[in-house]
Amino acid sequence: MEKHNTFKQEENILIHTRIIDAPRDLVWEVWTTPEHIKEWWGPNGFSLTTKSMNVEPGEIWDFIMHGMGRDWDSKIEYVEVKKPSFLSYKHSGERSEDYNFTVTILFEEVEGKTLLTMKSIFKSKAIIEELNREVNAIEGGKQTLNRLENYIKILESNKP
Amino acid sequence: MTQTRDIFQAIADPTRRQIIGMLAQKSLNVNAIAKEFDITRQAVSLHVQFLNDCGLIVIKKQGRERYCEAKLVKLNEVTDWVNQYRKHWDNKFDSLESYLAKIQKKKK
Repeated sequence: MEKHNTFKQEENILIHTRIIDAPRDLVWEVWTTPEHIKEWWGPNGFSLTTKSMNVEPGEIWDFIMHGMGRDWDSKIEYVEVKKPSFLSYKHSGERSEDYNFTVTILFEEVEGKTLLTMKSIFKSKAIIEELNREVNAIEGGKQTLNRLENYIKILESNKP
Repeated sequence: MTQTRDIFQAIADPTRRQIIGMLAQKSLNVNAIAKEFDITRQAVSLHVQFLNDCGLIVIKKQGRERYCEAKLVKLNEVTDWVNQYRKHWDNKFDSLESYLAKIQKKKK
């Protein structure tokens, strides 16, 4: 089972796989309905409000994440929707289009369980490297430790 | 078993975070670290060993003393964007899994 929980980078693509002990239809439902998705989507310690969700190609999920003392407006646009086996959407931030990325999720049935393969596709490998460098640049010295503290608080708030 | 001591576990503990913070200022030996805590020297020594195992600090011998030095570069594993993203989704999948377990239990 453990071998199904993997992560790797291939050029401009980050790939996660995970096997989930639940039937595919249910996993799909939990991924595509507001009352379910708010229970798990946000970063640990955040809550989530959906303004609108329309899981159709070209339509959007408009939502707000609440955490770390503020609201984070978020939006994703669905690109391809093939219930219950394939979903893809576009992430676009406040920054230039270069930083937008597309996510595809494959839902496969494996012995009554669901194998998820999630690919996050960036414009280029260079963009990923730039994000890494940027994050490293912001950190450094004491700031690293401060950010680390915040980060750890989020990790800890998820403990049972 | 090689991955049992990763950097995320290392920094999840408040004592270990404090030790990293102290060593970020200057190198210290275990006795000097232990003085700052209300726990035994042995317990501090175990935390130091943990940090050493995952590469967050190095222990250097100077005469009879063993000095601990912070290796903050290693923290970039945490702050590196790809790793943040990876960790974020590992957590999300965990949440998804436990949420699904919960609602399936209810149905039965």
